[in-house]
Amino acid sequence: MVDVSTIYLVDGATGSEVRAELRDSIEDAQLVDWQLKWRPAHDALIRELIQKGVSRQQWPQSSHWDWRRKAAQVQGLLAFRGFCVLADGETQGMAQVELTKSARAPVQAGKPIVYIEYLEAAPWNSPELGRAPRYRGVGTALLSAAIALSVEEGFKGRIGLHSLPQAEDFYRRRGMVDLGPDPDPGHQHLRYFEMTAEQARAFLTEE
Amino acid sequence: MTAKRTMTLNLTDAEMRALDELSARKDVSKTAVLRQALRLYQAVEARVERGEKLLFENEATKEKAELMLV
Repeated sequence: MVDVSTIYLVDGATGSEVRAELRDSIEDAQLVDWQLKWRPAHDALIRELIQKGVSRQQWPQSSHWDWRRKAAQVQGLLAFRGFCVLADGETQGMAQVELTKSARAPVQAGKPIVYIEYLEAAPWNSPELGRAPRYRGVGTALLSAAIALSVEEGFKGRIGLHSLPQAEDFYRRRGMVDLGPDPDPGHQHLRYFEMTAEQARAFLTEE
Repeated sequence: MTAKRTMTLNLTDAEMRALDELSARKDVSKTAVLRQALRLYQAVEARVERGEKLLFENEATKEKAELMLV
């Protein structure tokens, strides 16, 4: 049974609130949206970036993510959970989290966290090319869902993740601690971020 | 919130002590420890069934030891 909550995003053009759904699952409808809507939008964006001479380093860094493969790899495993945000009948963002990892920050080292493996907003919600995203707040809603799951699981809101370089400021602005580049080559030296129980409480109070 | 079901669990004193210690060390409830254990057990089983091995590596010496699962 999928749990559905009402959330509110912000219309990027008008600034008005838009009613949306947060669902605690990634279902086939999301994977169809990814394949038939996200991917063509990504491709169109890349073509436009090439035309405008934007360097490859500035292209969206998650555009190669294959959500269908990611979902298949963890199907039926209790250690993994998914979330999605729906608005206007379309999938606006997805996140996949893992529940068996431990914290690294000295104040909470060894304690269980909700680890965010992947978090991505639909390409039309990303601010590339200086365009206003169609909806703002998708990433924050998914981050909130991971924190809420951490609370529900008894992990007190502790979360962690490796951030793509383009998303680092997003996580810093939301109060996560930057623990620096991961020395493990398996994580491509991405910077590792963590949120403590106290920071999670502050985040949920603000949201 | 996902619906949950209740069960009674019978543990020996030693098992209960281990559960208490893990609960305190990990800063989670005893229920959370058992749910974590189930997730890990299921994840390990799934990987072993795919033909993978479970290895532990000593961070200092880089020495690897295989955990045999029967």
